[in-house]
Amino acid sequence: MRSRVVVTGLGIVSPIGIGVSDFWKAALAGQSGISAITSFDPFPMDGYRSKVAGQVRDFAVERFVDSAHGERVDRYAQFALVAAKEALADSGLQMAKENPHRVGVIVGAGMGGMVMGEREITQLYQQQKPHRVHPNFIPVITLNSASGIIAMAYGAKGPNLTISTACSSSAHALGQALHCIREGRADVVITVGADASITPLVFAGFCSLRALSSKFNDHPEKASRPFDRLRDGFIMGEGAGTLILESAAHAKKRKARVYAEIAGYAATSEAYHMVIPREDGLEVAHTMRLALADAGVTPAQVDYINAHATSTTIGDAVEVRAIRRLFKSRADKITISATKSLIGHTLGAAGAIGGIASVLALHTGQIHPTANYDDPDPACALAGLSRSAQERRVKVVLLNAFGFGSNNAAVVFKHVKREM
Amino acid sequence: MFYGSPFTVNVGEQQYMATDPSISLKIRTALAEYLKRDSATILTTQHLRDDLGLDSMAVIELLYRIEEAFDLQIPDQDLVGLTNVGHVVSYVEKRLGKTTSPAPTKKPAKPSKPKGKKKS
Repeated sequence: MRSRVVVTGLGIVSPIGIGVSDFWKAALAGQSGISAITSFDPFPMDGYRSKVAGQVRDFAVERFVDSAHGERVDRYAQFALVAAKEALADSGLQMAKENPHRVGVIVGAGMGGMVMGEREITQLYQQQKPHRVHPNFIPVITLNSASGIIAMAYGAKGPNLTISTACSSSAHALGQALHCIREGRADVVITVGADASITPLVFAGFCSLRALSSKFNDHPEKASRPFDRLRDGFIMGEGAGTLILESAAHAKKRKARVYAEIAGYAATSEAYHMVIPREDGLEVAHTMRLALADAGVTPAQVDYINAHATSTTIGDAVEVRAIRRLFKSRADKITISATKSLIGHTLGAAGAIGGIASVLALHTGQIHPTANYDDPDPACALAGLSRSAQERRVKVVLLNAFGFGSNNAAVVFKHVKREM
Repeated sequence: MFYGSPFTVNVGEQQYMATDPSISLKIRTALAEYLKRDSATILTTQHLRDDLGLDSMAVIELLYRIEEAFDLQIPDQDLVGLTNVGHVVSYVEKRLGKTTSPAPTKKPAKPSKPKGKKKS
């Protein structure tokens, strides 16, 4: 019999708060974390079509974690370390009492250590001094630096993996962690999503893809507007989310507080296009259906969808089409919200942060609003969307995440009764 | 920010020339910054690994900083002998063309010239 898997700890670094309680308060209030980009200075913003992003302000890693770990890694991995620390403390897990080989770390990251990466590459090409490339360049940009440093910080010697599927990375991290525990290969998996690559090069790259919003540079807080008629692209964000996943038996044994069960997961490819989703939404609908089946629930049981909803013209419409395709007339009875309306698109962190919003909806019965949903686009109108926070008893949540490379993921969380 | 570049080791000429320009102090200051401790506690007799706790990667990072501070390039074959603080000091002195031992009251090391002189 496969083990059931539960969520017992949460941690977050986001543009609207470092720490779950600040994040959730701001999220329920519909607060926007989008602002004008300032971190490029002295690099000028003039040449950028888009000039706003969801930035984590005033982050100093030494305020949160031991410098022996924090200073060795790039910004995305620092975020991951901080979110992992909070989640572990929140879970009450004491590593000293655990078998370290039964505690794994699975991280989803889309871009990795681009802050240092970009600087070193730029300097090398400008100065042509190969001997001045920093000795830590390779270990820092390597995409598993976050999963590695978390293991070192906490002595987690179980499976240690990094999943990189662009914007769906950490939804897959959740899914792979679920599998890992289900199959009995670990009791606990520290599951993380992290990205921090609002850098001159990466940001220019997304601008050149014409993927970013450019109409709201003077009103940054209005720029991320999933499902709204005026949406014109996504807003880059940065951050990290951590969820402590644990077998239900292990959680019970140590009398842990359980937020929710993570009950289902599906991973598919559209095998279609590097950056454009199939317009008919067939594959997205299929992915959601598979995840629900994996969780043993029917579409009729879903109360809330934490949508991928990046605020792009095509993407949002396709997701709604897929939701209508799968849920039929019930689509309008499901509460929907888009976390990216608040913090922008945190790329590899998006699945984990959406996962935290999903788990908190199950745990608190509150669903955060979708900011800037002012003028519903008929192409993606759903009755369950709202600019205000909603209250509802939530029993089943579906989390969507789609990534470049024709990549789809869906994760299902369920409410748990006390005695589980 | 971390890994700032050019390296914010604070061993640049401006900071220390006025007080004590000696190579030894510069190196001990770089080490003190790296180890986050008072430079007065770092002695030339200390072993980089056994006394200061630097692992092999940390030694490489330290030498990277020293290359920057003195505008030097340290070839791989020279790393072997650099095991204590004093070795590093005398190595740098040699590379900068200064004779042995500190002699700190003399002219400070000219940061402009050392490039060419590639010994060993």
